[in-house]
Amino acid sequence: MSTPSEPPEDTTAAGASDDDWTYVFGEHGDLVGESDLRPGADSCYKCSSCDTSCPVAEVDDDFPGPKFQGPEQWRLKRQDDTDIDPSVMDCSNCMRCDSACPSGVPLSQMHNTARAEYVAEHLSKTSVEYWRNRVLANYGTLARIGSKVPRLTNFVMGSRLTRFLNDRLFGITGEREFPEFATETFRSWWDDRGGDEESRRRARQVRERRADSDPNDPKRVAYFHGDYSNVNTPEVAKAMVRVFESYGYEVAVPDQRCSGTPMFANGMLDDARRAAKFNVETFHALVEDGYDVVCSCTSCSMALRQEYPELFDFEGTDTVAAHTYEALEYLRVHESVREDVAAADADFPDLAYHAPCHARNQGLDRQAVELFGDLDGVAVDDVGDSCSGISGTYGWKTEHYDVSMAIGEEMFEHMEGVEGETGMTECPTCAMQMEHGTGYEIRHPLELLEAALVE
Amino acid sequence: MDAAAYTATTPTEGTVAIEDDVLVVGGGLAGVTAALAAAREGARVRLVSHKESTLRQASGVVDALGVVDGDLVTNPFEAVERLPESHPYRTVGTDALRAGLDLFDSVADYEGSHTDANALVPTHGGTVKPTARYPVSVAPGLASDARSTLLVGFETLPDFDAPQAAAHLDRAGVPFEVRGVTLPFPGDLRADAAITRYADLLDEATTVDGGRVDARTALVERVKPHCSGAERVGFPALLGFEEREAVRAELSDRLGVDVFEVPMGPPSLLGMRLAERLYAALDDAGVGVETGNPVVDVTSDGERVREVTVERTHTRVPYAAEQYVLATGGLVGKGIVSNREAVRERVFDCHVPHPADRYDWSAAGAYGDHAFARFGVRIDAEGRPQDADGDPEYENLRAAGSVVGGADVAAEKSASGVSLATGYVAGRRAGEEVT
Amino acid sequence: MASVPHITVVGGGSTGTGIARDLAMRGLDVTLVEKGNLTHGTTGRMHGLLHSGGRYAVSDQKSARECVEENFVLRDIASHCVEETGGLFVKRPEDTEAYFEEKLQGCRDCDIPVEVLTGAEAREVEPHLASDVDKAISVPDAAIDPFRLCVSNALDAERHGARVETHAEVTDVLVEGGEVVGVEIRHDSGPGKRVHGSPGSTERIETDHVVNATGAWAGRIGALAGVDVEVRPSKGVMTVMNTRQVDTVVNRCRPKGDADIIVPHETACILGTTDEEVRDPEEYPEEQWEVDLLIDELSKLVPLLGEARTIRSFWGVRPLYEPPEVGSTDPTDITRDFFLLDHDERDDLPGMTSIVGGKLTTYRMMAESIADHVCDRFGVAATCRTADEPLPGSEDHAVLDDAMQRFGLRSPVARRSSQRLGSRTESVLSRCDPNPVLCPCEAVSRAEVRDAVDQAGTDLNAVRLRTRASMGNCQGGFCAHRIASELHPTYDEPTVDDALAELVEERWKGERHALWGQQLSQAALKYTLQATTMNRDADPAAAEGDVDWDAFDAGDRPVADGGRGGVHRDDTDGGNGGD
Repeated sequence: MSTPSEPPEDTTAAGASDDDWTYVFGEHGDLVGESDLRPGADSCYKCSSCDTSCPVAEVDDDFPGPKFQGPEQWRLKRQDDTDIDPSVMDCSNCMRCDSACPSGVPLSQMHNTARAEYVAEHLSKTSVEYWRNRVLANYGTLARIGSKVPRLTNFVMGSRLTRFLNDRLFGITGEREFPEFATETFRSWWDDRGGDEESRRRARQVRERRADSDPNDPKRVAYFHGDYSNVNTPEVAKAMVRVFESYGYEVAVPDQRCSGTPMFANGMLDDARRAAKFNVETFHALVEDGYDVVCSCTSCSMALRQEYPELFDFEGTDTVAAHTYEALEYLRVHESVREDVAAADADFPDLAYHAPCHARNQGLDRQAVELFGDLDGVAVDDVGDSCSGISGTYGWKTEHYDVSMAIGEEMFEHMEGVEGETGMTECPTCAMQMEHGTGYEIRHPLELLEAALVE
Repeated sequence: MDAAAYTATTPTEGTVAIEDDVLVVGGGLAGVTAALAAAREGARVRLVSHKESTLRQASGVVDALGVVDGDLVTNPFEAVERLPESHPYRTVGTDALRAGLDLFDSVADYEGSHTDANALVPTHGGTVKPTARYPVSVAPGLASDARSTLLVGFETLPDFDAPQAAAHLDRAGVPFEVRGVTLPFPGDLRADAAITRYADLLDEATTVDGGRVDARTALVERVKPHCSGAERVGFPALLGFEEREAVRAELSDRLGVDVFEVPMGPPSLLGMRLAERLYAALDDAGVGVETGNPVVDVTSDGERVREVTVERTHTRVPYAAEQYVLATGGLVGKGIVSNREAVRERVFDCHVPHPADRYDWSAAGAYGDHAFARFGVRIDAEGRPQDADGDPEYENLRAAGSVVGGADVAAEKSASGVSLATGYVAGRRAGEEVT
Repeated sequence: MASVPHITVVGGGSTGTGIARDLAMRGLDVTLVEKGNLTHGTTGRMHGLLHSGGRYAVSDQKSARECVEENFVLRDIASHCVEETGGLFVKRPEDTEAYFEEKLQGCRDCDIPVEVLTGAEAREVEPHLASDVDKAISVPDAAIDPFRLCVSNALDAERHGARVETHAEVTDVLVEGGEVVGVEIRHDSGPGKRVHGSPGSTERIETDHVVNATGAWAGRIGALAGVDVEVRPSKGVMTVMNTRQVDTVVNRCRPKGDADIIVPHETACILGTTDEEVRDPEEYPEEQWEVDLLIDELSKLVPLLGEARTIRSFWGVRPLYEPPEVGSTDPTDITRDFFLLDHDERDDLPGMTSIVGGKLTTYRMMAESIADHVCDRFGVAATCRTADEPLPGSEDHAVLDDAMQRFGLRSPVARRSSQRLGSRTESVLSRCDPNPVLCPCEAVSRAEVRDAVDQAGTDLNAVRLRTRASMGNCQGGFCAHRIASELHPTYDEPTVDDALAELVEERWKGERHALWGQQLSQAALKYTLQATTMNRDADPAAAEGDVDWDAFDAGDRPVADGGRGGVHRDDTDGGNGGD
């Protein structure tokens, strides 16, 4: 594949340069058609657990479910077949099928690859749908531009006229309000604060104070913040930094691209490949230097841990995957956070917690409720194991809006059925859906952890 | 994947173990039972399961012992003595079966506890199956109930052919009139719609048929003309999920007859409902539950299991406990795995007796006396898996459910009962050890 | 001739159905009898290779030339049965250069189009080939579905007036006055389509000539007529993989040997084979070492096979024949050529001809030669048209997109259906709505099953062979009962139940040879579904209504007015009731 050379990018997010948009006009890469996933069908024994776990199949009978999309479609495939059933575009990429399958069928990998083949072979590059998907998939690029002039962007994107035009002309639902851009991005806050150097200083101070750590044995994490917590919810990213520094960790915040999650979901594997390559190279170098990678968004950690190794083979992909953690998870297995939380209290509103599907897929869907169950001062109720229905960019598409809301209905009902009138989740798009469906304010577990542990 | 499970792995550097009193590995009926039994002893319990519970594949009826030597069993407790001595029921005793059923009754909203006798539940294949406990929605359909019956199948649901099932029941000599009818399901679902889609239409009473009526009403309208003479109507088990009670009550009310569900193979809504119920019971009991990641390695000092390693995507995390329960399932659940040469237990590599010659693993007939159906670890009276010499593999490891061999639970219709009995013993004993 | 001669063809394999079609097209009155399903014998138990002739290009050039000629004929007349996969003869480092050159030259000698590929080029064609494969010869091998081929031949024979009787075993060859005058057959379930439970019957078929096209069974028919037909049945094992590891036929380029071919077949790959002479074409051992040998040897060509899932294995017997005076001791030395045995000339027994030897690829040519022989005998001037007229289903190419749009099928389902049905796609798929997929492994919908039931009656194995339903990885675990249900209500419930039981047993027979790893897990799931969930193994219906219903729990609901409720706790004695 003739990958265009990576653009230089400075820490002030100037990566939203023209180069990013030249990618958009670039050629399709060669990943499509490369991978033969038929052997993965060997693991399927047809039990349909994946189908019954699929939130889309439950509300939309045009979607035949993951068993067909995955092992069946692949097993029926011959080398020269190019047809992929169009219904693969209705998959929301929630990946619940992965955690349902008792046999280890690589379902989401099959879906991602089939979707990429479909987009490459059947979706016209001149269609509005293609461009709409491409733009949604490259939200990070859009966001970086928008975040430079946040007030203007918020005004334009929030306008009813914009929403109307998006819906009619572009297929982006006008039912939703675009997330607001923060007036200051996390990265500019970080830089103003003194960057990695300042974090090193603070962490060392803590280590000198704490009995359980060695001031000369630096604990290091590299933070993959993703686009959303950078430009939309910097308070989550700041909470992450403060919590980790309070345990004596030196936090590094390297340059990074979108994790690729929205690109996988839209079959834009070439875009994802470019982003992933940049991220793997960056974080691999840090891992080699003794850093672990920590994410505050469960879709980001999912991408680095599972999707990258399944779809790409850059040098260091597996190493990065093996050293990537979700933030809470990291503290649970490296620090005495269980005991610390149990001994703490927090002044925080009661919470209705929703576990994102991508947290479920990493086995992390119950950790927040378990951890905060021991915390005084705040009640955290799990609102059940249903999917929020938004699945990243999925619920933003006009044609999927109703399905998205139908899937979310169960979660909304459960949220309203518990004490707390504030929501909590790890996933930024689940948060949008929760807010959209209930009007609640939505917080992140790291914010609660900060309230509990950081003075 | 299985290959990964065979590779010795160590926890990722710098991690500290997640510690509990009792760690249950496996989230099916046996694992849940063990976790609940241990928690009731006061233990701090964690359950780790590689994937979502395989209960979701189960038919949702809870059998105890339905067939011995080819004969239908009326009373499972009395029939236990007719089983071979190597059978898990003989090892843990009928008291364990009763205790397991009692525990189940205390957390599930099932029926059947009013009698020791088995019930005969119509199956989607048209036969009847002896079972000890059954969901409320299945209860009105029992075959010993003499009310005349209409079975309703759907054109797009080839798993249940109602007229043929009715004819088969009739040939079996059931004590009632039975007819079957095949109808289109309201809403003109695509022919390959998921079973959850059917349930969802009824749950939500979604408007169908061009906006004319809701799905429940449309179903009543379609079924009603066929109801004459029937005192109860049976549907494949898809009558709602969240709103199942309301759906069934409304159909009963408007059809003017009792409505029941016929258990189906996977995908099984009855299994999904049961899984949801039991996992809620785990939450209520304070059991920590983690699904999505496999146990890939075990550290021991030879006598006792020290910790196990859970692989989270690509990182490895240690989990430590005083007591462990192995409930990973059998060949179907993949707690027992095989290759061309041998059969083994996947997590702790416990001894699994099996014939050396692969061709002796199965019998010539489809329903013959299959050795594979008995593959699994052998346990002692405390539930501890035994090595080839009959000694416990580890002092602090117990096994429960289908990973335990020695019984052809499919032929006997005893899979759930064995899970409840062995799960109860393993969980209670583990809990006693730590409290 | 005063009237049209009546010919009885014995044997419903490729040769028999091919002969029946050829004779019927030439206007003769034909009856075909087959003791089992069509393809019941060798035809249904082969790896589905449509030979390019490459395999015989060194040892048996006459066969090789016939193969390449017929290969191209069948691509035309049976396009819906043939997948043009291409083939490779692959050389590993330990295989000799000399033989590679000999193979190449042999192919050229026989006018088989060839191309030499480097190892890297071969791996470009087939990415899963072993990394140390040196080089390869590309040949026009293809994959053929023998079931569809025979069924199409039989259908076309019927269209031309032939009578086709399956499940009709020849119990005697009628010889009167030193001449064969007919056969006596036993119908398993009466004449016509097979229906389970129908009483059997016998029938005398008087005929002008008998063609013995029973392949490995030819000696038996010969014996009934009192003549010796010295077939040398030789068994070979074939193992079916769950998926396609290759999309090209992969042969090992070395002299005769076991376990040297991988044929992509529909959704699967078939590994072949072994070659061992057996005394009886039906009774021979099916052994573990044979399956292990295939996997171990062929993993050297495609390493992925070592860990891949197999779903079943089966054995077939080759109908090898050589004139007794040749005296080969090793079956691999016996020619693959075919022989027409004129029993009039050879044994002074007029009225019967046997055809032995040969292979599926040349079935049409064999049929032509025997049809010529028969026509010659009866002075029929009509010439052979089978090389030119397409078989039913291959008349024109079905348009895939149409099938998908019009019949609401998902695109891979539509594609596989239209490949099986060829030009019949539209007429078959339009017959029922809704049309759910009954066998998701092989993408077989209700319409296709019903079409096959129309042809085959309650014989679900014949339905299976026509549609591939239940031939995927679940081996009938999730679909057998759905397929059987399509027989109802046309056939009554006990008949349907018997038909289902027969299908389940047939699937189990082959699946037993694949019971380890994933397929053992699958088999255990199937057993659980059928025994635990459906209780098919201890079905009270089989106990002839001998159940003490009152001894079982009838529920805890209050007894309604009129007391029609069932049994309650107080009523049960707790004893062991049942039967």
